[in-house]
Amino acid sequence: MIELILWALAFGCCTIPMVGWVSDKLGVKHLREWYSSLVLALPFIPYILLLRLISRIGVIVYPASSLFHSILAVDMVSAFFILPILLVGLASSIYSASYMDHDTGLNSYYTLLSAMILGMVGVVSAGDFFTFFLFWEIMSISSYALVAFRKDRWEPVEAGFKYLVMSSAGSALMLSGIAIIYGIVGTLNFAGIALATRTPTLASDPWIILAISLLIVGFGIKAAIAPMHTWLPDAHPAAPSPISSLLSGVMIKTGIYGLLRFYILFQTLHVYWGFILSILAFLTMFIGNLTAMFQTDIKRLLAYSSIAQVGYITFALSIGTVQSISAGLLHVFNHAMMKGLLFMAAGAFYHATGSRDISVLEGIGRRMRVTGILLSIGLLAIAGMPGLNGFVSELLIVSAAIQRELYIQATLTILNFVISVAYYLRLLQRIMLREPKGEVLKVEEAPATMIAGMVILTSLCIFVGVYPSMLISISEAAGRAALDIGSYIAPILGG
Amino acid sequence: MLEPILLCSVALIAVALYGFYSKRHIIKMIISMEILINAANLLIVTFGAYRAPGYVELLPQSLAILSISSAGGVTAVALALMLAVYKVYGTVDVRKLRRLRG
Repeated sequence: MIELILWALAFGCCTIPMVGWVSDKLGVKHLREWYSSLVLALPFIPYILLLRLISRIGVIVYPASSLFHSILAVDMVSAFFILPILLVGLASSIYSASYMDHDTGLNSYYTLLSAMILGMVGVVSAGDFFTFFLFWEIMSISSYALVAFRKDRWEPVEAGFKYLVMSSAGSALMLSGIAIIYGIVGTLNFAGIALATRTPTLASDPWIILAISLLIVGFGIKAAIAPMHTWLPDAHPAAPSPISSLLSGVMIKTGIYGLLRFYILFQTLHVYWGFILSILAFLTMFIGNLTAMFQTDIKRLLAYSSIAQVGYITFALSIGTVQSISAGLLHVFNHAMMKGLLFMAAGAFYHATGSRDISVLEGIGRRMRVTGILLSIGLLAIAGMPGLNGFVSELLIVSAAIQRELYIQATLTILNFVISVAYYLRLLQRIMLREPKGEVLKVEEAPATMIAGMVILTSLCIFVGVYPSMLISISEAAGRAALDIGSYIAPILGG
Repeated sequence: MLEPILLCSVALIAVALYGFYSKRHIIKMIISMEILINAANLLIVTFGAYRAPGYVELLPQSLAILSISSAGGVTAVALALMLAVYKVYGTVDVRKLRRLRG
């Protein structure tokens, strides 16, 4: 089933330019946009079948046998990560239809968008480092080009170059880590590495410590973990808003996925990992939240808040129990929905006024009522209001910490939640409650396709908030599958 | 024979980091990036050649070829961005790209 998802997305990458050319020649409005949304909606059908198959048999391996075990291996964790990627991808493609209508080069825009989604789905479903690196580079290269898509302005160009240099240096360091791991264990297959690292003598090997540090830096740059986060607050605001919501919503989560996967593969050595990760997590939370307080640009504020949310997820992973990992995975899904929605709403304001300055946007929620209400739902969800999805996963992260009797860490996390509520509610008050003035008086409601993109994500925020048990049961299955390394190895190496 | 090549790879990483921190021309920065990726490639090929004595393994070589080709893609995007930087800023000095505060 996983190959059908990847084939559908790859088919989209190849055919979108042709359809776009036809729609330009014939002058059919929005044919390309409808087509790319259709292509991105198509993978949901194999995805549902995939989810049912995995809940029955555990791990899907494709192809069943291959040279060097270079395979796709999808377990519950991968399947759980694919869902937000497809959802935010579809929503941002629908949203782009009217957001990007003043831009040129839309054929390459939609091609790069579907290539990036293809790359992300491939990264989370790879079963060995070769496949992982291939899809990682597809994702990275298309995201560099998308961040700098509006290349005639200074901000995207500068941010895109900074992102490119940092991220490709991170990929190179990750590759060095992969090389060292290959030198030690002699295979690139995840299951093979997990089998080989079960020997406890490896824990004190300086090479494996070097390899783990290189991998933490490589994934940490992509996930924007604290000392490596400096590209994120520049690149995410500079990108077009649908791309911001993809980058912030799901692309940084591929770094999280890498950390999670290797945290579990090196389970025998996880004392080092957990400790280092929890320190990095708190650094990330505090830097993200405290810097977000002082932002005047709405998209920069949201970008810093993404850094803080990555800190929460990393903290949940560093605890390393089934409860905490499933809570972290649930927060990955919830944050993708909330942050995707918030970046899209901020983009709708930017589209209407041409400004991202919060002092200019004051009171705009009274003029653009629908967008304003959707933004309020997103802000309340991310601030952790009961009844919306953010509350569920934040509660589960804290309760998982308390179950392991990590009281200081739990208190610090709650402190961070409180700090973040301060700036979310202040933003809500300034956008929704102040009297509009100046340019804002003239704005009109966002176009229907932009609203449609946001409504998809908002309805999921509300659905998960009101009825969380379905997603919690999937994320618990994923958390159990993540820690049950034996049943991950057996179908791949035994079959 | 393993150690000299590993030292060479470490030296390449050092050269690349020196380039990142001290050079201000964008093309020199892109070259540093390439050197860093090549250091990783050298490491991969070395481990493939010397891990088991007597024969050279195939998987690391194919990984290195994949990495070389993806580095080509990254460099292409980087050079395209360099052109855009030159058009917008009128210079290719990295120190002038300091308007973002990140």
